[in-house]
Amino acid sequence: MKYDVVVVGAGIAGPIVARNVAKAGFSVLLIDKKPAIGTPKQCAEGISMTVFKKYDIPYDRRYINREIYGAKLYSPSGYELELRYKEASGVILERKVFDKMLAYYAAKAGADVLARTEAVDVIKKGGRVAGIKAKHEDEPVEIYADVIVAADGVESKIARKAGINTYAPPHEFDSSYEYEMLIEGFDPDLIHLWFGNEVAPRGYVWVFPKDEDRANVGIGINSDNPQTAKYYLDKWLKENNIPAKKLLEINVGVVPVGGFVKELAKDNVVVVGDAARQVNPMHGGGMAEAMEAGTIASKWIVKALEEENISLLQNYTKEWWETDGKRLEKVLKVRKVTEKLTDEDLDLFIQVLGSADAEKIASGNYGGVIKALLKHPKVILSPRRIKLLRELL
Amino acid sequence: MPEKIRVVVNEDRCYLCGGCAGVCPTLAINVSASRWEFFQEKCISCRICISACPVGALSGEPLGVGE
Ligand SMILES: Cc1cc2nc3c(=O)[nH]c(=O)nc-3n(C[C@H](O)[C@H](O)[C@H](O)COP(=O)(O)OP(=O)(O)OC[C@H]3O[C@@H](n4cnc5c(N)ncnc54)[C@H](O)[C@@H]3O)c2cc1C
Ligand code: SF4
Ligand code: SF4
Repeated sequence: MKYDVVVVGAGIAGPIVARNVAKAGFSVLLIDKKPAIGTPKQCAEGISMTVFKKYDIPYDRRYINREIYGAKLYSPSGYELELRYKEASGVILERKVFDKMLAYYAAKAGADVLARTEAVDVIKKGGRVAGIKAKHEDEPVEIYADVIVAADGVESKIARKAGINTYAPPHEFDSSYEYEMLIEGFDPDLIHLWFGNEVAPRGYVWVFPKDEDRANVGIGINSDNPQTAKYYLDKWLKENNIPAKKLLEINVGVVPVGGFVKELAKDNVVVVGDAARQVNPMHGGGMAEAMEAGTIASKWIVKALEEENISLLQNYTKEWWETDGKRLEKVLKVRKVTEKLTDEDLDLFIQVLGSADAEKIASGNYGGVIKALLKHPKVILSPRRIKLLRELL
Repeated sequence: MPEKIRVVVNEDRCYLCGGCAGVCPTLAINVSASRWEFFQEKCISCRICISACPVGALSGEPLGVGE
């Protein structure tokens, strides 16, 4: 088989690249190892409302479970901070349908799509990656392409086999565990997040409502923790007297929360999404980041093919690092400081911040939040807290 | 030098999420849609995969000298 572009992985990043490149008139093959694209999901399914317009994705009720109007944060001792908008600010998707529909949009734009097709290795010819070796229902297939896109998620096997260094140390990953379950007593119009070093080391517990009484209830913790994510989630449910008896699904995954890949294009191979570690290090959300990277990558793939100049792919690395990369590096710095916060710090911060500050947190304006905290008497009295916050400015 | 180990999976616990393969620095683990696989010759016994697994499906069996 020969295509202009082969895309490995039909999660979020892959189908966006496949759709955009196929739309420009080039031949594209999108493959995924799963027999049903999108299933099983490995996600809490929360995404901002802005992505639909920004990345030209139809606002289709088939993959929207619920519109969300804000967030509620809970500190270790139970202080709460609520942010509520009049208009929906985000949605909880149904990723099993969403991923499949993104692949459908790629197919409608002209791409070929093959489920149950696993890339096992790259084919090298003359020192260059000429394509990939794959397996479709146990049949070996060789797919040759001018450009190879590794959108293969956290495993990033194909990127690594192609010689792109996607290594990140263990501390730069979160281990996540989640139940889709029946749960009551939480405002279903908001997402809910619990913080605390005993609750979720380095991360948080989340309740993302899909219905009035059904939600994704999950946790992310540092992956080099001696305990498992499952241990901490089960402990939290027990301590909060939430029965874990109506479990509809169990979802498991590891999320990169730092270690963004330096070299995003090497010769004719590009890496996008989780495979390139392009995830927000504070909250572990990576769908919007995968869409952004996929959009930038596809723009340069199209230019490189149109001008028959593969070296133009390097501009993807350059553009990403000047834009989203720069932003995520700042977020990573915030994450590294928040890791040093004690439960007392978390209690105090959530106690003293108001909804105006929560609004800033939601929009990623951490500088504004830090300035607000630095004005508070209880913060001023603590040289340690001042030092921590100053590190962020 | 860390103790040499063979990484073993408890298939009844594993969700084939691919996380262990992603954190392994040497590509010693492969997770397909239906199977978890381990390549002893690539493993450097760092145990990163074992602590990263969200459900504790992995463990390390000590390897005898010469194994
Ligand atoms: C528990 C959990 C909760 C999360 N919650 C959120 C959230 O609420 N909001 C958010 O924005 N993000 C969330 N994320 C992160 C988000 O899921 C990812 O950042 C996002 O899916 C990245 O998209 P991607 O396309 O890079 O990779 P993926 O979506 O992981 O897609 C990669 C695809 O590649 C396929 N693949 C892998 N290897 C091969 C191969 N060799 N051959 C063929 N196919 C292959 C896989 O089957 C998969 O379909 C969460 C993650 C986890 C684990
Ligand atoms: S991280 Fe754990 S659950 Fe995921 S594939 Fe590896 S062994 Fe299985
Ligand atoms: S012990 Fe280290 S090298 Fe061996 S499989 Fe696990 S992560 Fe890979």
